[in-house]
Amino acid sequence: MTQRLFDLAGIGAERLHLAWVSSAEAQRFADVATEVISKVQEKGPLDRKAFAMALGACEMTVNCETLRWLVGKEVKITAKGDVYGRSWPVARYESVLNAALEREYHKSLIYLALKEGGTSVRDISERTGLALKHVSYLLADLEKTKQVEFRGMQERKPVFAAL
Amino acid sequence: MADFEPKILAFLCNWCAYAGADLAGVSRLQYPSNLRTVRVMCSGRVDPAFIVSALKEGWDGILVGG
Repeated sequence: MTQRLFDLAGIGAERLHLAWVSSAEAQRFADVATEVISKVQEKGPLDRKAFAMALGACEMTVNCETLRWLVGKEVKITAKGDVYGRSWPVARYESVLNAALEREYHKSLIYLALKEGGTSVRDISERTGLALKHVSYLLADLEKTKQVEFRGMQERKPVFAAL
Repeated sequence: MADFEPKILAFLCNWCAYAGADLAGVSRLQYPSNLRTVRVMCSGRVDPAFIVSALKEGWDGILVGG
């Protein structure tokens, strides 16, 4: 999930590696270390200034309730079934998780754009690179959870602020 | 990018990968020194939030070894 998030944010999944090495496999550890280093070397240094907003949004996303609950329930939902005894295929669970991941990441971006001083939907869209319609749809979502507030009209444009 | 030396943070499980890394050291296997390790009692202990904050703090890549 975190690798998918990094791809979504443009940081690149290649920056995060998972490997299983047993305590007896010293050679394997050395191989894994070499491979990880060369993969990251290919990606080059992480430009923290350019990715400041993306990293901030990633941080908000991995800490958000919805995703934490979803991840925690994976085995239960796909193996034992939901509260009604119906179990869901892994692919279905993954697609729900991915949709939630993308939505939460975009919401975090919008929230940070507002914190940064964005005001109108057009302004947020320019800062985040998200489509206008998508921004206004997610703003309504953020309003419901009391993360964003409508602050009236300015030059006939609705203005929002992060709480 | 041949001269770029990435900084990589490795979260290693005490019982598996950390012992593997230790053995690699003891048996004098050569591997690049860009890796810095954090020993955790289980790789399940590693929270995605740790990974994101490591990238924020200046690491270029993360390895989680279990």
